[in-house]
This record gives sequence, structure tokens and C-alpha cells, in this order.
Amino acid sequence: MNRITAVTKLHFVNLWTIIWVPAIILGAILVLNIAIWWIVLSAIDTAEGRANAQEGFGYSGSTFYIFVHMMVVAVQAFNLTFPFALGYGVTRRDFYLGSSLAFVLLSLGWGGLVTLLAYIEQLTNGWGVGGRMFSAVYFGDGQWWQQFFLFTAAFAFFFFVGAGVATLYVRWKANGLVGFFLLLAVAIVGVIALIVRTDGWGVVGEWFATNGAYGVAAWSLLPAAVAAIAGYFVLQRATPKN
Amino acid sequence: MTAVIEVNNLTKRFGKLTAVDDVSFTVEENTIHGLLGRNGAGKTTLMQLLTGQDFATSGSIRVFGESPVENARVLGNVCFIKESQKYPEDFTATHVFRSAPWFFPDWDADYARRLIADFRLPVGRRIKKLSRGQLSSIGVIVGLASRAPLTFFDEPYLGLDAVARQIFYDRLLEDYSEHPRTVILSTHLIDEVSDLLETELVIDEGRVIIDADAESVRGSATTVAGKRSDVDAFAVGREVLHRDAIGGIATVTVARLSEMERAAAIRNGLELSPVSLQQLIVQKTQAPRQEFEQSA
Repeated sequence: MNRITAVTKLHFVNLWTIIWVPAIILGAILVLNIAIWWIVLSAIDTAEGRANAQEGFGYSGSTFYIFVHMMVVAVQAFNLTFPFALGYGVTRRDFYLGSSLAFVLLSLGWGGLVTLLAYIEQLTNGWGVGGRMFSAVYFGDGQWWQQFFLFTAAFAFFFFVGAGVATLYVRWKANGLVGFFLLLAVAIVGVIALIVRTDGWGVVGEWFATNGAYGVAAWSLLPAAVAAIAGYFVLQRATPKN
Repeated sequence: MTAVIEVNNLTKRFGKLTAVDDVSFTVEENTIHGLLGRNGAGKTTLMQLLTGQDFATSGSIRVFGESPVENARVLGNVCFIKESQKYPEDFTATHVFRSAPWFFPDWDADYARRLIADFRLPVGRRIKKLSRGQLSSIGVIVGLASRAPLTFFDEPYLGLDAVARQIFYDRLLEDYSEHPRTVILSTHLIDEVSDLLETELVIDEGRVIIDADAESVRGSATTVAGKRSDVDAFAVGREVLHRDAIGGIATVTVARLSEMERAAAIRNGLELSPVSLQQLIVQKTQAPRQEFEQSA
């Protein structure tokens, strides 16, 4: 059997960490949110006040957990599954390609599920209480395929950035991470300094406004691709150590 | 006989530490090969190099005639069971045995099931929760049932009790005779495995100090005991690996003796006894470096 797809299957052999646990936690977050929305609404007397509150519900960051969880999945894939697979006689190349395929499949699957949940949320008028978790304002309000693209791209971003950073750890251990985050901090401060010096916040805001949620999602594929390609080369000389 | 592994002048340095120091040896096809030595001698590093998990500083490695590094043709025939094997997050042994056949074309699922019963391994429990011995038995089962043409066991039985270790030795020998393959076994439980091994490679501080078939290693040294004066007289001019004296009695371990020398020793009232592989290695790896350099 093809060793690349064998690696992909290896990531799916235990569905708990990649599907059931995040699904259960996401479900619990949703139930808690619905309870909170309901409590908030039942504490407000006027229809106008309720409408106001429901507008505020649109700014929910509750789905953030699921993206971070998938980043952790990617990190663990390199921290634990990588040395395991090498014992099975897998090459670094095959491991990386097979893992990337698994991340793409998971991004599509989770992207599809979250899109479906966004639709259910809209059809049920926000789970009956006007709540918005999967159709929060920054996810846009386009066609289903635009939503699907946005969520899939977001998952891919978190998977591959997680993978890229994890390869730095596998290759250079703590030194690699410290070096990377120092460089990242310097770069972020530099960009902020540049924006402040040129009075460019307006331009930045404009960029987000013109690109919209779906444009930003498309652009996020660029850093994801850079991380994916860098991760491939970093892993080529990595050694599993204890 | 064809060589499965050919190593020439292999060196691996980590900064100032030389973990593997100018090592050369070959491993013949379908043998059980012991890789012996103290902790930190370089055994694991050597196996990591042979399986392409680590990169040589200099020298050459040929496994099935090719470099193993990132070579799917070579590594597809290799199974490497490590003492400190990591498993994916929240895996159970069931996950391990379900995925193993995708990587080992000769995987024998029935055999794996029998081994699971032999080792009484709780397959449904998360690996994190297993005892050290149970953890080791997963590796042992994968190593045996994979039937990979080249299998490395690096200290495979840490935490396994005596019964489980005996099961491992028995199963390894049985399965090896039915399905010949090349097995490289690193261990410091030397006497336990010495009957199993056909050839032995002993390394110390990254250098090969013994590379021979098990028979000749066993005959390569003898312990001579008797009156101190007689023993000392006998030892003159010989390579002494080890010396002990209590009161008027002394024992020395000397290198290979000829039949005539043995007869002469017995005539002089000295007692001869074979040196176990473990004692031999203990003595060779304790000796100051110059002594065994003379013997090399």
C-alpha cells in the first residue's frame, strides 16, 4: 500500500482526538451559549432591548476553541506521531505529505460541518434565541460555498501554521521555538511601528473592508502555504529525540 | 551470505561528544545480531543512524545496499522498536495493531493476537495508563508480528518481568526459524540473550571493541584461578583482561588459550573456567583503554 496514504490513515485511526472530543466540547460550548443567550434575553423587558442584545450576540468568539484544538492536533502529529511513524520505517517526506493530506481532509470535513451548523443556526433563528456562534458577523453572510471556503481555509491555516511551528520544535527543540517567537515578535512590532509611523491604520482597516471576510480567508492561505512548505524542509533534517 | 548492513568508518558527533567513533562492521542476512554495551555507549545512536533517523557526521552506511536516509525502498523493509518509543496522543494498543499492517506488508495478525494473549496486554487501555512492562510488550509484539526483513529492537524489554522476557526470547527464536530475517537486538541483559545471538557487536564509548560470532567470543577468554604465585607466573607475558586477588588466591582473565596452554595450566594446579559473555564485556569495558587497544 502507498506509504503516504498509510500515514494519512494513521492520523484517522483514533477518531477521538480529531473528531469526537472536539465535537463534544464544541457542542458543550454551544449549549452553554444558548443558555446564556436565553438568560440574557429573559432578563430584558423591552423588545427593543432584546433586539439590541441579539445584535451583540453576533460578535461571538466561541468557535475559536475548535480552531485552536486543530492547531494542537497538528502539533501532536509531529511531536508524537512523527517519531512513532519513523519506527514503522516511514520517511520524513512520506510522513509530511501524508500528514498534510490528513490536514486537508480534516479542514474540508470540519469546514463542512461548521458551514452546516451556520445554516442550522440561521434556519432556527439562532437556536430559537437569536444567538449567533457559527454565523458571527466576521464570518460574512455570503453563499454557502463562500462560507464553506472561509471555514475550510481557517482550519487549513491553523493546521499548517501548527505543523510549521511543530517542525521547528522537532528539529531544534526549545531553541527553535524561542528563536521563532522572538523573530515573530520583532516582525509584529516592526509592522505595527511601520503602520503607526505612516499613520496607516486607515489603510489597514480599508484593506480588511475591501477584501471582506472571504477575501481575508483567501489571503490567509498564503501564510498557511508558506508554513506548509517551510515545515516540509525543516522536517527533512529533523531527528526524533527523547 | 549477503550483507544486509555495511558500515564503514562511521562517525557521529553531537557538538564535542563523539557518540559513534569511526565504526566499521557488517551484518549478514538472516542472523540475530547482538548490539551490546553500557548505557551511553552509543547503541541507540548507532541504530538511529542505521534506520535513517539520524544523520552521520562522516562515513558510510549501506542497508540492503543503499543509504537508508529518506530511502523508502530501504526503510519499507525496516522495523525499529525503541525502548522509549513514543505513541500518538490517546492511542491504545488496538490503534497500534490496527495501523501496523498498513506499514508492514508481512504483518501477521493471527500471530499478533497470540502474542497479545501471551503477554496479557490490555489492548483497550490508553497507552499512557499502561505500566512500563506493558508498554514494552507493545513494542515487542509489533517487532515480532511485523516480520520486517530487518528488525531493530533497542532495549525492548524494559520493565518486562522474567516470564515475559522468556516469552520474548522463545517467540523470537521460534518465529525466526520459521521466518528467517535479520534481527538486531541491543540490550544490557547480556547473559539472558547470549544463547540467542549468533554474532555480537560490543561497543564502548562509541567504538567497536568486539565484533565476532558468538562461539568465538565465548572461547575468547578464560578465567584462571589458583595460588597467587602460580597464577602470576602463568599470567606473565599474557594479555590480562582482569585480575582479582584475595589473600593467597588470585584469579586472572586472560585472552584465548590454546589446547597446549590449557593442559599446561591444569598441570600447574590452576583451575580454568569459561568467562560468560557478560563478565567478558564487563571486564573489557572497565579496562583502561590502552589494554584493549593492545588486544585489537
